[in-house]
Amino acid sequence: MGIGAWIVMLLSIVVLWGTTGWAMRRSLRLEDRKLRLLEDQGEIDTYSPRALAELHAWIEAHPDDPYAGEATRRYNECVDVLQRVPRTFYDWDREAIQRLERLE
Amino acid sequence: MTEARTAREAWGTRFGFLMAMLGAMVGVGNIWRMPYTAGENGGGAFLVAYFVLLFVIAVPGLMAETVLGSYTRQGTVGSFRKIFGRGALEGLGLVVALVNLAVMSYYAPIIGWTIYYAFHAVAQTFFQPGFESQPFWDAFSSSATLTVAMHTVTMLAIGALLLLGIQRGIERAVKWMVPLLVVALVAIALRGLTLDGAVEGLRFAFTPDWGYLVRGQTWIAALGQALFSTGLGWGIALTYGSYLRRYDDVPLGGGVFTAVGNTSIGLLAIFAVFPVVFAFDLSPTSGSELTFISLVSVFPQMLGGPVWAIVFFVAFFFAAFTSGLAITEVGVTAISEELGTRRRQSVWIACALIWVLGLPSAVSEGFLGSMNFMFGNWGLPLATLIIIGTAGWKIRPERMRAILLNRNTDLYIGRYWDGVIQVVIPAVMVFIMAYYVITEYAEAPGRTIGGVALIAGLTVAALALMGWLRRGSVVQPETGGR
Repeated sequence: MGIGAWIVMLLSIVVLWGTTGWAMRRSLRLEDRKLRLLEDQGEIDTYSPRALAELHAWIEAHPDDPYAGEATRRYNECVDVLQRVPRTFYDWDREAIQRLERLE
Repeated sequence: MTEARTAREAWGTRFGFLMAMLGAMVGVGNIWRMPYTAGENGGGAFLVAYFVLLFVIAVPGLMAETVLGSYTRQGTVGSFRKIFGRGALEGLGLVVALVNLAVMSYYAPIIGWTIYYAFHAVAQTFFQPGFESQPFWDAFSSSATLTVAMHTVTMLAIGALLLLGIQRGIERAVKWMVPLLVVALVAIALRGLTLDGAVEGLRFAFTPDWGYLVRGQTWIAALGQALFSTGLGWGIALTYGSYLRRYDDVPLGGGVFTAVGNTSIGLLAIFAVFPVVFAFDLSPTSGSELTFISLVSVFPQMLGGPVWAIVFFVAFFFAAFTSGLAITEVGVTAISEELGTRRRQSVWIACALIWVLGLPSAVSEGFLGSMNFMFGNWGLPLATLIIIGTAGWKIRPERMRAILLNRNTDLYIGRYWDGVIQVVIPAVMVFIMAYYVITEYAEAPGRTIGGVALIAGLTVAALALMGWLRRGSVVQPETGGR
């Protein structure tokens, strides 16, 4: 078998099996973490800092959108949870949480 | 029509959801189509093209479809009602459900073939003196009694499992069927790779002929494999996604793991099938001929052949059966929600419909081929266009990503996703349907016109039916969810 075939075969194994294994491990590990937090505190934050900032920006940019109310509700829900729970699922720091404000 | 009467179930575990998605998307095509398609289209060059399309189209597309179901918490028809409001456009969801019923009507007889061969593998029929695989296949496929009986067994088995529900039925089954399928393919691959001449099979599948990368046909073949193999836009991911729990992630499990995991099993099939084919000097081919004739003739020549035959055909049955469960569940969920029937009734209605519609395909391979021609070429791409088009042009990807997709996610999704959902996938779907019309028309004009007319007629009828049922009632789309 030529060198090209070997390269493609090994590349396929790494790209496919590697990605699948990584995705499954990460998914199950984070699920465990979510469940532990939910058992301990009953609720968890739903957006990462980056995702919440993006949601905030979207709401500001689309105040009249039909989904704006839904987006605001989800934003506020995450802010409320972050300010209530002792431990967060995503990588939030306390200062950032203190700076968050609910949207009207 | 009334709202569903029963409380909505949810997946019991993350592992169960992942296995359900993987089992749904891994089907007979992974085993009997992918190895041959790779070998015939430039080997490694095809795989490179396929990987590009997998990550650019299938992974983001599956995320969109799964999150749609997770948001609406409804099946195909209910999802479109929530998004478009009550009216004719609910019919788009009905089209997706009907395409699934039609696909399952000819997939169920194929599952029946796998049951028949798995049974005979266990019964050691292939190892009897004087056994020949071609006459055995001919005798089976030409016997209406046998093929209808297997089709019936298939629908009874699927119905019995679906009756138990999402957690106790589908999840419980796939949690051991899918891992066993993987273990079986690994075992066969290890055995195959130790055969003399096995390397020829790997050479056929992996040797890159880079010239193929500049051929349109390679990309079309890769696109077809990426779309059909991953089940993107069939309504399965939408339906399974609708049973996700409140804090479940979509992008990593519903997108990356499902699409790439499915292809990983295709790669495993290359290692399992082609070394055996080449080691025994068989002609590399695809479809039922490869599985039910060529490979069957090989097992008696292998050391430990009876065991390998059982492992292979049971694995093959698992691959087909778990997809059958998913395709049927699309119909069951839609029936429950739209007719307001209990799950038990919905399962029997769906299974009975599929059984009746599947009888012609069970009896006639020609009819089965025609159904596959119509629904494979245009029905499934249309379903994909409807679902991803709705995500891209009605809900809008930027909104979808900000509010839904990156909520509870295990993998942050960036802005590149928006363009893929809004422009790339819809454009690709329109292109592939047009391409199939042009190429198929050149070869079989009558059948092509008939196929396109049938799918167009189905779409118009579904829209008209929902418009008629909703006449006089104007209800706006809903927003809001968990």
